[in-house]
Amino acid sequence: MADVTASLIASARPALDEGLLRALAASLGEDAAAVQRRLAALARYEAADEPDRVRHLWRFTNPAALLPAAIGTAAAGGAPARAPRPGDAAAVIDLWPGMAPVLETAPGLPEGTIMLAAGADAGAQPATDLFGALNEAAWNAGATVKVAAGARLAGPIHVRVHAAGPAALPRLRVEVGAGAEASVVEQHVGGGPDVRVAGRTFVAAGAGARVRHALVQVWEAGTCGHLAVETAAAADADVLTVCGVFGGDDTKLEVEAVLAGAGARSEIIGVALVAGKQHADVHTCHRHAAAHTASRIDYKAVAGQQARSTYTGLIRIDDEAHHCEAYQENRNLLLSSRARADAIPELEIHNQEVSCSHGATIAPVDEEQLFYLESRCLDPREALGLVVGGFLENTLARLPDDARAMVESFVGPRLATIREGTA
Amino acid sequence: MSDQMLSPDHPSVVFACRNLRVFVKDGDNEKLIVRGVDLTVRRGEKHALMGPNGSGKSTLAAALMGHPSYRVEGDIWLEGERVDTLEPHERARRGLFLSFQYPVAVPGVTVANFLRASLAARRGAEIPVRAFRQELNEAFATMSIDPSFITRYLNDGFSGGEKKKLEILQMLLLKPSFSLLDETDSGLDIDALKIVSEGINLASGPQNGLLLVTHYQRILNHVQPDVVHVFMNGHLVRTGGMELVSALEERGYDWLADEAAVAEGSRA
Ligand SMILES: Nc1ncnc2c1ncn2[C@@H]1O[C@H](COP(=O)(O)OP(=O)(O)OP(=O)(O)O)[C@@H](O)[C@H]1O
Ligand SMILES: [Mg+2]
Repeated sequence: MADVTASLIASARPALDEGLLRALAASLGEDAAAVQRRLAALARYEAADEPDRVRHLWRFTNPAALLPAAIGTAAAGGAPARAPRPGDAAAVIDLWPGMAPVLETAPGLPEGTIMLAAGADAGAQPATDLFGALNEAAWNAGATVKVAAGARLAGPIHVRVHAAGPAALPRLRVEVGAGAEASVVEQHVGGGPDVRVAGRTFVAAGAGARVRHALVQVWEAGTCGHLAVETAAAADADVLTVCGVFGGDDTKLEVEAVLAGAGARSEIIGVALVAGKQHADVHTCHRHAAAHTASRIDYKAVAGQQARSTYTGLIRIDDEAHHCEAYQENRNLLLSSRARADAIPELEIHNQEVSCSHGATIAPVDEEQLFYLESRCLDPREALGLVVGGFLENTLARLPDDARAMVESFVGPRLATIREGTA
Repeated sequence: MSDQMLSPDHPSVVFACRNLRVFVKDGDNEKLIVRGVDLTVRRGEKHALMGPNGSGKSTLAAALMGHPSYRVEGDIWLEGERVDTLEPHERARRGLFLSFQYPVAVPGVTVANFLRASLAARRGAEIPVRAFRQELNEAFATMSIDPSFITRYLNDGFSGGEKKKLEILQMLLLKPSFSLLDETDSGLDIDALKIVSEGINLASGPQNGLLLVTHYQRILNHVQPDVVHVFMNGHLVRTGGMELVSALEERGYDWLADEAAVAEGSRA
């Protein structure tokens, strides 16, 4: 049986070859070194095992559903319209498959504060997993954003990652220099039937840096994809990763945060709102590689209709990482009897001088709460909106005001459409 | 003229039900809890409903409000119109109110946000923030609830008495035409009982009515009901005035068991 499954996935794996990758690199104007990196990744892509569906990480999602049918070299059709720069933004970057990135900085921003480089390879660990190697070999929209050491950005850097064509393979690298303060909002937009996305984001926070990174997925229906985020926090750095899964059909989001330097802190705050036949499969990993590090995860999912939420979360404390604190919480609210949630928290602790806690809950929406609110004149949709808002409240309350407002600007409309279907 | 002779759509009637039967799911079967209740409340009237534990008082009240887990037969009339096919929020918007025996907590939703949404829904218009704040402050003062409760989560961690006071505060704000008050006096200390009673009296007027479910005479001394009903085993077995309350205080419910049996027989 296992062999049959494996061969099904193997046949779904999109074909890559040297000629295609060279053409892709040429269309993006890459140098010879970049081409060599793609070719090295190609070898790893071809050697990569199929994701192991017996282990929990892939038990709930069929990788074949996320893989693009084919990889091409063509740029996204038509000249993409530029959305206006949000008023508060320090910079806006648009990433379109097959096109060089475009950066627009706010007027008056000192030269060199934010720098953009095409490509996003430097510093990344070579990927050996299927999706990672696919992205590394064949990424078609990439940028490296560098925030100078000591810089304090007044507003966020908005990165709009457009899902288009049969395959969008975005690759983003954010480097925040020592002591700098920066906020990056990475918004995954666009897509449609048969659009597949395999994206990678790297966030490196220098010593003492304060970094806020938000990844919000608001794809159109029909889009499926695998998104991976890796963050690394140097000594005394403070990294907040905010995740929002709202759109598309099937999403697999993996966030791996490494606390690399002593005194580093990482917090992951995630919210998913899914309905219809959507599936949000979220994995987080906090790896404490240094002593005196602290991590916190708070992930909440709301599933309506036949939607599905999956959460697997790992806290890993390395041998030398003494005096760490790690906290993980996952709560799921089911709005219908056909919605489903699975939660698998995991601890892997190699040093005993630590404080760890984790918890997970899955519960249907409380009919008595709805009746109480309805008896006070609220219609069923208003009542459900209040109950869901209340469910999310203590998670959203942990966000800084502007980040909270940003997340709520996606939660509100999504909730409205979920309620349409529920009422 | 006997109230039961009044047509439920008579202009002087604020609330009525006719042959109300309430069933709950009991495994694969249904269980009949409320076994045929006729009730007519005229504008300006306060009715009390007393009955033993488990007789079906809360079931009756929740079913009248439209609780989704009951199957209900019979007519329910509010201000001359049938409301028994309406959703709970539609009944509420037309002026029906239920003060819960056990008010439900909604964590994460502040009292202020909830009340603002509720009032806007009842009045069919958003209420300007400042006007709302003023109205809220007055109502909190009337009910002697500390204003800090405005920013707390709805009923979350409230004491029993605090929950009951907030129920009557909502009654004051929503200005219902007919209120079902399910043991709003249970668990209140002497001062709170007085505040709650005064709140109920303040919310009552010549145009509206209420049905107060209680086990105790004390609140009835404050509220002074016009009509007292005794409810047993799903039936209204006796209707009278305050003298019934004293009789119950003295003798309990047993002496009415025969009437309950007769009521049962006449419905069978
Ligand atoms: N969903 C249900 N399934 C089975 N039995 C139920 C259900 N709901 C209510 N009952 C039963 O119906 C009867 C009436 O309950 P109800 O809560 O209405 O009583 P009550 O008169 O309000 O009592 P109390 O004075 O203790 O508040 C009880 O015997 C109760 O166990
Ligand atoms: Mg009761």
